[in-house]
Amino acid sequence: MGTVVLAGKEFEVDEDGFIQNPELWDEDVAAEIAKREEGIEPMTDDHWKVVRYLRTYYQEFRIAPMIRKLCKETGFQLKKIYELFPSGPAKGACKVAGLPKPTGCV
Amino acid sequence: MKGKIRLKDLSRRDRRPLVHLENRDLMPLPPPLDDPAVDPPWAPLADRAREKYECSLDDTCAVNVPQPKSPEEEWELVLKFLSGLQKLFTRENNWTFLQPLLLTMEHCAKCQTCSKACHIFEASGNNELYRPTYRSEVMRRLYFKYVKHGGLLSAWQHGDIHLNWPLVARLIELSYRCNLCRRCAQTCPIGADNGLVAHELRKLFSMEMGIAPREIHDNGSMLQIRVGSSTGMNPTVVKDNIAFIDEDMSERTGIPVETPWDVEGADVLLIHNAGEIMAWPENPGAFALILNAAGIRWTLSSELAGYDAINYGLWYDDAQFARVALSHAEIVRKLKVKKIILGECGHAHKALSVVADRLLTGGLNIPRESSMTLLRDIVMNGRLKLDPGRNNFPVTLHDPCNMVRLMGVVEPQREILRKICPRFREMEPHGVDNYCCCGGSGFAIISGHNVPDWRFHVSGRKKLQQILSAFADCLEPETPKYVCAPCSNCKGQFRDLLAYYDLWEKNRILYGGLAELIVNAMADVKPGYIEWEWR
Repeated sequence: MGTVVLAGKEFEVDEDGFIQNPELWDEDVAAEIAKREEGIEPMTDDHWKVVRYLRTYYQEFRIAPMIRKLCKETGFQLKKIYELFPSGPAKGACKVAGLPKPTGCV
Repeated sequence: MKGKIRLKDLSRRDRRPLVHLENRDLMPLPPPLDDPAVDPPWAPLADRAREKYECSLDDTCAVNVPQPKSPEEEWELVLKFLSGLQKLFTRENNWTFLQPLLLTMEHCAKCQTCSKACHIFEASGNNELYRPTYRSEVMRRLYFKYVKHGGLLSAWQHGDIHLNWPLVARLIELSYRCNLCRRCAQTCPIGADNGLVAHELRKLFSMEMGIAPREIHDNGSMLQIRVGSSTGMNPTVVKDNIAFIDEDMSERTGIPVETPWDVEGADVLLIHNAGEIMAWPENPGAFALILNAAGIRWTLSSELAGYDAINYGLWYDDAQFARVALSHAEIVRKLKVKKIILGECGHAHKALSVVADRLLTGGLNIPRESSMTLLRDIVMNGRLKLDPGRNNFPVTLHDPCNMVRLMGVVEPQREILRKICPRFREMEPHGVDNYCCCGGSGFAIISGHNVPDWRFHVSGRKKLQQILSAFADCLEPETPKYVCAPCSNCKGQFRDLLAYYDLWEKNRILYGGLAELIVNAMADVKPGYIEWEWR
């Protein structure tokens, strides 16, 4: 519901701030979403580890990974992911990684 | 905002919301949330939402109906509503629900017994807008005026109503302020069903006007029909995820777990709510381990929709409902399995077991059973070696409305808990008199704007009160506590509700399913299957 300019590019975003054109996403965009939506500045190596895993998984399967898989692959407990992304893995980390909002009963 | 809300306010042309609730208006909560200062403030609705969408009901916006651009557009929408309303009352267009709908329209005695049963009305501090008969009375007056074409005498007898776009726009939102838990219908001495009224309105808006919340339509039933699951998992992804769960389970329990796929002629086709696989894998993992240990010949299906039991159409659209129910039945025929067992998902239970009965006739009428009874048989018949001492923590049971009140599956889950959880205690009231988790009918996933605030403060308040009361003797953080909720939708709701009030961090109240408690008590499994970590 609206457009925002992130790292010099124009994005459609829904009412929860998820970008609607994930193909335009890059790491500069991620850093800016992190700052605007989650108050994260700067992104640390741990933040990038989560975001890059989400991105790689999404590019292969076109969907976000299971949360347990995310924890296992990054070696972070869910609590740690909440510390990194206060809105959590779905509404925080996935948003920064430019993934669509998770759907269904999750 | 206090003050009496009247029926005619629904037609008000100004865009000011009819109701704006504050924490001080609401039903009080028990300790440790008895101090209003610890009840978090509501997120306000953003101005840009107010400018774009119809939000003049109660300062919340669940459906995102765009504001019409002109009076002509408004009029066109009102006409669509009117023709849809008339169709609801014809046998050829609504053979499934016409009879109870007519009964509800014609015979309400306005005794208000239902109002006392409604958790939303009570939690809102008895706000008139949320009285279960408020919505029904609007519908009733529309019925007498525009369907039965009553004249002046009818208007005098039944009350008049002014149909315009503001009324329709507010009614759209109001149809999504009811959990469809039908506690009101159960208590009605006549059998009038306010939950059905909300359902029929949602149906009219979806099927005749193309209006439904994105989460349950575009990203829900449509996605399920297109990709195979409302989670977006296609068959390749779901198989990959289950393989991961099998491996993880084998590691955690010390028992090799393998999930069978597409086994022709299996005794049991198990269908989970696919959300379990994505968000709570310890539940489908526990099922796999239990069914293998009990020697059941079972299978999952990788057919489209065969690995996702959800049927969101139940809440808002009969055509979407039928499409999904038929695809579930079709898989049974194709795989030649003996019966379907529904995983821990309340609305899928009611959808496929009860409502689909009207659809699945003849050869399609395949046996369907709840996982509650199957698990009860396994546990009570001594097929597993169980050590209840491993579940020596306080456990309470949340009853999913669809299983108890709307299906009558009440005892099996309790027999299990009484056997394997020495510190099991009931919530009050429970069983068929339970209260909704407040995620019912799609609320758990409808999450745009400030809808979650309404959900936590209003629809979830009664359940929150029940959980806190059930654990009143052990709220201290030293004692971990478990709310057993055998339903994905309820679990999603509890995750959000407990986190919102910080009840895991401060009081160690966790939630989870039933199958996990069984595996946690299995003597052959490595101890500590239930991880006391937030999930």
